[in-house]
Amino acid sequence: MAKPPYESEREPLRRRFLSEGDAAGTLAEHSRLAERIVREAWDEHLAAAFPSGLCLAAVGGFGRRELFPHSDVDLLLVSAQPLESSSALAAFVGSLWDRGLRPSHGVRTPAECCRLEPGRPESCVSLLDRRYLAGDQELYARLDGALARWLRGERLELARSLCRGARARHARFGNAVQQLEPDVKESPGGLRDLHLARWLERLEEAPAPVPSAPAPEAAPWSLLSRVRCFLHYRSGRDDNRLSFEAQEELLEQGFARWRDPGELMRDYYRSAREVWRRALGRLEAWEGRGSSLWIEFRAWRARVSNAEFSAARALVWVKAPSQFERDLGALWRLFEFAGRHGLPLARETERRVEALLPRLRAAWAQGEPLWPPLARILALPRVSPALRAMHQTGVLKTLLPEWGEADCLPIRDDHHRYTVDEHTLRSLESLEELPRAADPLRRRLAGLLEEAGDPTGLRLALLFHDLGKARALEAHTPHSAGMAAAALGRIQAPPELIEHVCRLIERHLDLSELMHSRDPEDPATAQRLAQRGETLERLRELTLLTYADSSAVHPGGLSAWRGEQLWRLYLAGVRQLTRELQTERLPRLAAPSPQLAAFLEGLPARYLRAHSEKAAEADLRLCEQALKRGAAAELAPHGGYWSVRLAVRDRPGLAAALAGALTAFGLNILRAEAYSNRQGMALETFAFEDPHRTLELNPGEAERLRVLLERAALGRADVARLLANRPPPLRPSRRARIEPAVSFDSGASPDATLVEIVAEDRPGLLYELAQAFTAAGCNLEVLLADTKAHRAFDVFYVTAEGRPLTPSRQAALREKLLAACRPQTTS
Amino acid sequence: MKKIEAIIQPFKLEEVKEALKGIGIDGMTVTEVRGHGRQKGHREIYRGQEYQVDLLPKVKLEMVVPEARADEVVRAVLASARTGKIGDGKIFVLEVAEAIRIRNQDRGEAAL
Repeated sequence: MAKPPYESEREPLRRRFLSEGDAAGTLAEHSRLAERIVREAWDEHLAAAFPSGLCLAAVGGFGRRELFPHSDVDLLLVSAQPLESSSALAAFVGSLWDRGLRPSHGVRTPAECCRLEPGRPESCVSLLDRRYLAGDQELYARLDGALARWLRGERLELARSLCRGARARHARFGNAVQQLEPDVKESPGGLRDLHLARWLERLEEAPAPVPSAPAPEAAPWSLLSRVRCFLHYRSGRDDNRLSFEAQEELLEQGFARWRDPGELMRDYYRSAREVWRRALGRLEAWEGRGSSLWIEFRAWRARVSNAEFSAARALVWVKAPSQFERDLGALWRLFEFAGRHGLPLARETERRVEALLPRLRAAWAQGEPLWPPLARILALPRVSPALRAMHQTGVLKTLLPEWGEADCLPIRDDHHRYTVDEHTLRSLESLEELPRAADPLRRRLAGLLEEAGDPTGLRLALLFHDLGKARALEAHTPHSAGMAAAALGRIQAPPELIEHVCRLIERHLDLSELMHSRDPEDPATAQRLAQRGETLERLRELTLLTYADSSAVHPGGLSAWRGEQLWRLYLAGVRQLTRELQTERLPRLAAPSPQLAAFLEGLPARYLRAHSEKAAEADLRLCEQALKRGAAAELAPHGGYWSVRLAVRDRPGLAAALAGALTAFGLNILRAEAYSNRQGMALETFAFEDPHRTLELNPGEAERLRVLLERAALGRADVARLLANRPPPLRPSRRARIEPAVSFDSGASPDATLVEIVAEDRPGLLYELAQAFTAAGCNLEVLLADTKAHRAFDVFYVTAEGRPLTPSRQAALREKLLAACRPQTTS
Repeated sequence: MKKIEAIIQPFKLEEVKEALKGIGIDGMTVTEVRGHGRQKGHREIYRGQEYQVDLLPKVKLEMVVPEARADEVVRAVLASARTGKIGDGKIFVLEVAEAIRIRNQDRGEAAL
C-alpha cells in the first residue's frame, strides 16, 4: 500500500498552527513526523544492506526537534569506513524525496566529522545538536567519543570560525536589527543568532559539549519561531522574509494578537534586539579569548584607556565597576569616551549602564542640569557612537522621552529600509563619514561640513527630524519640530539653538522636494530655494541634512546621480543668495514701529532672514546710540568665540579700519558681515577668536576694545600704526597652503560688482583685503566673510564712483587683492 | 511592437509618468543615468575651485508598446517632458522582435 505523502500528513499541523499559533508544538510534531518517515525509509532501504558499520543521526534543527515546515531535514549518515556509491543509499534518499521531504544529508566517517573545513563551521556545529535515529549504535557511541575528544582540543578554533561567519553575516545586513522587512532567520537578531548564542554557550561546557535536550526557550524564540513558521506556511517554501505583505497577512491569522503591523514589528524588534545582544555578548567573549601574543600586543598598543575606561578589542569597558556605579556623572564620561574614540560599548558595559537606569531617572527628575554634558557629547568629532550607546542602553529615551516614541518605530513605504531610530542614527553616521570619503561629490560635501563649523544644531536636527512619524506618518515635520522644542526646552538647551534646530527640521524635506520637481538651472528654482533656505549658512546645513537623511534611507540611498542633483541645487541656491546680498534690498516694511521700519529699509533681505525681530530691535537701539555719539559697539562672549556689533554712519574704509583694529588687538576674525541701510547707517558684525584669552582674563580689556573699535569706526584711531607692532603670523606647512583665487561677476547686480575671494586665512587678512579695495578707490557695499580651518571665503559687493567696476579696474584690483592674499611672512 | 526609450530631465519624471498613466501606460522601466547631448557639460566654480560637470543627471524611461500605440506614447512623452530649453532630452523608437513573459511564457503583445 502506498504511503501517504508528507504533505497530506502535515496539513492538519498547518491548520492547527494557523488557528492556535503554537510554534513549539508544530515544530516538535513536524520533527516527529519527519522522524517516522526517515525511520521507515531506513528500515526499508538501509537496515538490511548495512546491519553494522552505518548509523543515522538527526542534526541541526531536526536534531533539536525544531523542524520548520519547509526547512531541510538535516541528516548525517555515519559510516565506519569511507562509503563508495551505494544503490541502497540512493534508494533511501530517493524515497525521502518521493515522500515529499527535503533531505539535506551528508555521509561521513567519525574522523571526517572531526574536521573543520575552512569557512564552513556549520557542518561541525550542527553536530552539537545531533541525536541518534537508527543503525549501528556502537558506531554512534564512537562518534560521540571522537567528537568529545576533538572538541576539547578544537573548540576555540570552531568558536572563532563561527564568530567570523556571524560577523560576515551581520555585515551583509548592515549590522541592523531593525530592518523594515527582516529575514527572521538570517538578519541580525534572527533565529540564526539565537542558535549562535546557544552554540557559543555550549562550547563553554566542560570538559566538552554533549548533545542534550534543548532547554526551554524564552520569549524571543517563541515569537521568532511563530513568525518563521507562519512565513513557511504562507509561501509554501523556506522563505523567511517578513515582508510588508506578510506582516499584513500575519495579522489576519486567528492567533495574532497585534492590532496593526506597527505593533507586530515593535514586538518583533524587541525580541530580535534581545537575541542580538545575547549573541553579541557571546561573540565578544569568544573573540577575546586565546589571542596570539602578537594580537595581544597589538591590542595593548592600540588601547586607548584612561583612569575610568579602557578600549580593548574595539569595545569600551569599565575599569572600576564599583566606582562607576557610585558616580552617575561617570555615565556621561563613558558616552563621551565612546564618542571620542568612535567605539561601541562592550555588552558587559551596556549591562552596567542598564542597571543604573532607575537611579538615573530619579536623579534626572530632581532637575539635574542635563544640557551641558549632552552639549559636550554633541560637539565631539564623532557623536554617533555615543548616541548609539545611549540609545541601546535606554539612556537616550530616559533623557529625551520623545526619542522613546521612535524606538523600533517602523516606516511603511517603498524606500526606507530601517525603523525611525535606526534610520536616524545612520543619518548621523553618514554625516560623520563624509570627511573620510574619497569620491569627488562627497569630498565637496565634506568641504561644506567643514564650512558649517559647530555641528551641534545640525546633529540635533538629524536626531529629531523624523520623530514626528510616531505621531503622524504624513506631514510629520511640524510634529518633529514640536517634539524637538519640547525635549530641548526641558533639558534647558539655549533658546536660539532650539529655534535654529526647529527651523532646520521644518525645512528638512525642502531640498528633496525641489530635487524631484524643479529644474535646478531654472532661475525660479533658485529663487524658491533662496526663499526657503533663507541664508547661505542655513542652505549649507539643509544640504548636509538632506545628504545625511537620504544616505540613511537604505545602503544606496544617495547614489552619485542623486548626489549630483543635490549639489546642483545647492549651487543654484548659493548663486541666488549671494546675488541677493546686493540686489534684494528690503523695502519700507510695516514694522511694529516707524523707527524699526526706517532702520530696516535698504538693508539686504538676508538681514531679516538671519535676524529675529528681537535682534533687529537690538540693532535699532545700537543705531540710535550711534546717532547720538557717532558710533556704538557692543561685545558679547559666546563660549569659544566673541562677537561685536557696531553701528556708525557709513564711510569709505570703514570695514578695513574695524578689521585692522581687531587684528591689532591680537584677535582672529572668523566671520564678518557689513551692510548699510537707506539712511546711510552701516551695521557691521564680526565674530572673532581670542586665542590668548585676553578679553576673558582681563575684564577691562573688553571695554578698551569697544572704545578702540568706536574710535576706529570714526577714523580717530591710527590702525596702521597699531598694526605695525604686531608680529608677522606663522604660515601653515607647505602641504596645507592654499592658493588664493579671486573672481569677479559683473552680472550679479546692476549696481555693483561681486568679488569672491578664497585664500589662506591669517590674522589681518580681512584688513589687508579691505585696504586693497580702499586703495583702488572702491567702496564696499556689502561684505560677507567666513573662515573655516585656515581657509577664508570672502564675498564683497563693490562699487567705484557709484557704479560696477570696469574691466580695467577689475584687472588692476585683482593684482592688488592677490598681493594682499600673499603677505610677506615668516614660514 | 515598438520599444520607446526616452531620456528626459529628472524633474520631469513625475509629469511624464502621469501623462503615460493618463493614456493607460503603466509598465515602464526607469533608470537614473548621466550623459549629455548638445547641451554638453559646463564648468562650475565653487569656493575658488573649478570642476567640470560634463555628464549631467538624466532619467531614462523604457517601455515596449503595441505598434499602433507608439505614436500616442511618443506624443504623451513629448508634451509632458518639454520645457523648450536645451537639455530636454531625446526619444528613440526601436523595433522589437519578440516579447516573452517569463512567468507564463506568453509571447508577443499578450506579454506586454
